[in-house]
Amino acid sequence: MRMMAISLTHDQVGLGMGNITNFNMGRTVRRALSVALAFLAVPTIGHADDSPPPENLFGSGKILATPGVIQVEGAGGSGLSTWAMISGYGTNRQVGGSAHHTFVTTNDFTLNATGVTIGLFDRLELSFTRQWFDTGSAGGRLGLGEGFKFNQDIVGAKVRLFGDAVYAQDTWLPQVSLGAQYKKADKGATVRAVGAADDDDIDLYLTASKILLDKSLVLSGAARLTRANQFGLLGFGGPNGGRSLQFEGSAAYLLSRHFVLGADYRTKPDNLAFAEEDDAMAAYVVWLPSKHITVTAAYTDLGKIALQGRQRGFYLSLQLGF
Amino acid sequence: MKPISTLALALFIGLSTPAQAASLFDDLGGLESITRFTNRLVDLTFTDPRTAHQFKHTKKERLARLLVDQLCEASGGPCRYKGVNMKKSHIKLGITEAEFNALVEQLQQAMDEEGVPFHAQNRLLAILAPMKRDIVER
Repeated sequence: MRMMAISLTHDQVGLGMGNITNFNMGRTVRRALSVALAFLAVPTIGHADDSPPPENLFGSGKILATPGVIQVEGAGGSGLSTWAMISGYGTNRQVGGSAHHTFVTTNDFTLNATGVTIGLFDRLELSFTRQWFDTGSAGGRLGLGEGFKFNQDIVGAKVRLFGDAVYAQDTWLPQVSLGAQYKKADKGATVRAVGAADDDDIDLYLTASKILLDKSLVLSGAARLTRANQFGLLGFGGPNGGRSLQFEGSAAYLLSRHFVLGADYRTKPDNLAFAEEDDAMAAYVVWLPSKHITVTAAYTDLGKIALQGRQRGFYLSLQLGF
Repeated sequence: MKPISTLALALFIGLSTPAQAASLFDDLGGLESITRFTNRLVDLTFTDPRTAHQFKHTKKERLARLLVDQLCEASGGPCRYKGVNMKKSHIKLGITEAEFNALVEQLQQAMDEEGVPFHAQNRLLAILAPMKRDIVER
């Protein structure tokens, strides 16, 4: 099996999980340096007719739609789920990145999220996102004050371990990545008052994704080790429990070159005693007019939040990048 | 739940529409269509600055003929590719993933111009995609 994995994924796999990342990280750093040096060395005025044009570090060399979009916590994925693809249009010798703003409105709440995500050499993804969760009039009913906001910062990192979601079309082997999201809720005293054990924590996730190109289908599933209450906006852990393994998955259908239709499902812990927490889901359409603009519109059902009943509504995300 | 079930239905219809009975070769429009979009692909490849430098020493007409045979055969058509294998024919060219992807985009453009349906294009690309292992060197 190990031999098979190696031959199937070309030169991008090392010899065992442990040293894959070390090996390739070293190579990535060397590559970064050599690209930087190459940039310095490239003459600025013209080049000999026979020599290849200089490589463009920001050349957006990936195929349209193949990196997915930015999900609600800032990682490469779809609406609610992380994918194994490294975000941005940079290939193994390029850097990609994008900024996004996401707006979600449900019966009683609104969520805004803004962030940046970069992909380095199709190996490492780094992201930063800030979320603002506005309780609106529900804040008054909950005794927090009308318009009370729960906010959090999310710093994410994801490394591709093995597999090629796009090109390994002759095998079921998916692309697999390991990710972490450090989350820090800003209303520490309030989230503790509602029962959370902490106001910051790290989610760990292992995600596997595959594009089934002959069916124009993308499938992705991830296991997430987390104790985040409502994605972390209501703190971490609580009277009903601590870390648990949760699932998030997506199916997306490539309708045409510029439109993708999909759905996500995500399970969440239920650690707080004062209010029940449900699973979340979303069904979306993504419009990709170019590699630089991506618009995601979704219908979402986030389940019951903070005693205000089931929260259903709309999700809109704009992403600009390369 | 309604939008979810509508979506599920849309996915189901989307997945079941391509008539599996017809071969990909037919869905690509047969040999005439394949020949036209392959010639267009080669034109694009030889002029696009992202790929042109890799084809400076390649005979354009011969490459186009070989590619027509290869795409025709790969899609189940009545042709036989007689060129050397992908590994040998690309050895030491130092082709990058970005260059390979640029050629994929040129093929998509050529098929679009020929009116090949998007899902048939993807079925052809699914067959060609694993060649990346033998073609991309860095």
